[in-house]
Amino acid sequence: MSNILKREAVFAVTGIVTVLMFVEYFFFPQDWIVASTIRNWAVIIYNISLGLGGVRLIMQHTMGTQRRRENWQFSVLFLVAFVIMLFTGLAGYLGTGVATSNGIYNWLFNNVYTPLGSTTYAITGFYIFSAAYRAFRARNVDAALMLIAGCFVILSNAPVGEVIWSGIPAIGEWFRFVGQVPGMRVFGVVGGLGTIAYGFRALLGKERGFYAGGAEE
Amino acid sequence: MSGQNIFDKLQNIDRRVFYWVLFITLMVPFIMPIGLPVKVVKNTRDLYEGVTGDNINPGDIAIMNFGYGVSAWSECAPGFTVCAKALLREGARIVFMGAHYDVELSYNKLRSEAAEDFATKQYGVDYVFLGYFAGGESAIAQLATDSWTVYPEDHYRTPVSEIPLMQDFHGWQDVAVVLSSDTGDVGSYFLRQWQGAHGTKLAEIGIAMNGSTDYPYYLAGNYFGLSIGSRGGAELEVLIGEPGEATTAMDSINASHILIVLAVILANVGYLVQRRQA
Amino acid sequence: MAYPTATLDVIGLWTGWLLMLMIYSYPLYKENVTYRFAEHIFIGIFLAINLVVNFTNVIRICVTPLLGGDFMMIVPLVMGIMIYTMLIPEYRWVSRYPIAVLVGAGFGLGMRGVIKPSILDAIVSTITAPSTGAMMDWVNFLYIAVGLISSVMYFLLTYEHTGALQAPTRIGRLFIMIGLGAYFGNTVLFRFTMLTGRAQFFLQVLKIIPM
Repeated sequence: MSNILKREAVFAVTGIVTVLMFVEYFFFPQDWIVASTIRNWAVIIYNISLGLGGVRLIMQHTMGTQRRRENWQFSVLFLVAFVIMLFTGLAGYLGTGVATSNGIYNWLFNNVYTPLGSTTYAITGFYIFSAAYRAFRARNVDAALMLIAGCFVILSNAPVGEVIWSGIPAIGEWFRFVGQVPGMRVFGVVGGLGTIAYGFRALLGKERGFYAGGAEE
Repeated sequence: MSGQNIFDKLQNIDRRVFYWVLFITLMVPFIMPIGLPVKVVKNTRDLYEGVTGDNINPGDIAIMNFGYGVSAWSECAPGFTVCAKALLREGARIVFMGAHYDVELSYNKLRSEAAEDFATKQYGVDYVFLGYFAGGESAIAQLATDSWTVYPEDHYRTPVSEIPLMQDFHGWQDVAVVLSSDTGDVGSYFLRQWQGAHGTKLAEIGIAMNGSTDYPYYLAGNYFGLSIGSRGGAELEVLIGEPGEATTAMDSINASHILIVLAVILANVGYLVQRRQA
Repeated sequence: MAYPTATLDVIGLWTGWLLMLMIYSYPLYKENVTYRFAEHIFIGIFLAINLVVNFTNVIRICVTPLLGGDFMMIVPLVMGIMIYTMLIPEYRWVSRYPIAVLVGAGFGLGMRGVIKPSILDAIVSTITAPSTGAMMDWVNFLYIAVGLISSVMYFLLTYEHTGALQAPTRIGRLFIMIGLGAYFGNTVLFRFTMLTGRAQFFLQVLKIIPM
């Protein structure tokens, strides 16, 4: 019984929900209250589950601080920043219904989070430059084609391409609007077919990687 | 060491040299701008025409999705701002929403960039900011069938039943056009659950990376228009006649793109020389 | 946006500028204490924003309707809390139920939604001949048609790419490489635009260029 609750019943829930979505799509021209309700529940569950990663991270840094692991001082810094932001945000929300109404939260949001967020993601620009220099080699026909297409697209994306040579925009645009289409469209087609195949496997209970503990237990 | 030629030395150069060269190259054009003209391509023109003129009627409801965060402001915000301005000037009613935690920051930035256009409009009547949503494809699908369950309140905790604009927006059938600006998957959710399922007019104002994967959908007619990255943003600024952030950034883009192509050419010349020597 | 004049705003601007330099000290110099400092502050603040925003959203879409009389909302609320049993090893299996709902809804919606735009429309667009008689249009049409067919064959992984399959799959691979090259070109634009924004901010705070 407990094995049924831990495995078969779970797969049955997945299958039933998937089938309900199909039934709504194929048999109900307007929305169907059953599918709509389950979808709404999925949205709420999704929202609640987003805190899980945060809870794990807090647990990890708290234990690191308690056990004085290497660089535990940074864990303290993380926890202090987290606590300040959390409490000021909740104070703002509980006071006016909008978290950013709290001055400290709003200041940190605008002057710490925004530049750090932009900067952290922009770092990849450096890496792509050094990667292009070190790894982008025309070792064979495939790599040479990729290189040529890449260079023409890079130069046609920038207005300066036309200044260098009048043919660059024409060739670059051909690569952007025709040349890349088969290669990119195939990912959509094959990805779509894969989604359907993978979805059927999940519906039949063959895909167990989603569930905590996998297929065991 | 004595057998090393210039190409061998260049192969082994410290990567931090590249990073400094790139960073300085990006800054110089801001100090000494050139301002080369930006050519407008068909997909961007179709996007702009799709939100202006006869394609939008006063009172039409448009959804504008902030699918980008602060990290992608320079890529997506300029094009998004132009489209918002164009829709407001046509008298469309806009519903703003987003799936990033910092959607409020992006909305505030839009409000400041298009301050003159927002000044003549009334919140709750001409536009509304619903705020953050999470739930992936389920939320987008639910938005199409019953938007009030995804957003029972707007961002400022006003119940949607008290917002005049929201009386006319319950689902996909009430929406004339959806503009999604994405760094991730939300645009593809709108593609599947709105355009594919119900035929809603949809356009993407996305990052350049997504431009490659989105272009086949534009060719197939799923998107009525497509703006690709900051280059698309600059083209939209040309179309509306108001140069902005994307146009300013183009000089820097020019310099950095020439730099990377030169680096790739240099690296390959060195590679071929080394191969011949070997 | 003009250069701020209020003291707190100016302090905020310079704080952001300094934090940016701390982060960039890692690629431009080497990993150091200031980078770690900025990184951990960012993660702490980001996590708090995550929790605050999600908490307020759950109140908005679930708790408020529940308190307003929609008692069915207790079901997703309880199921959402069940996910946190993932943190307790002996009760981890309980979290499978809310995950099952998420997976089922996600796959159901994905499968039904992907058929038209990703498969049907793509195929129709590929096989629809150009309406104009221009030669370049026909060349492009044939290029895309041959390219898509051979690229799809490349992804046929249930058969070895030998014999009759060898030539078309090889051609398909070349088409895919062209597509990936163009994708790389667009990626460069994306990454460099983000860096451009930072370079601009660096100069604006120093008042070398106007804000």
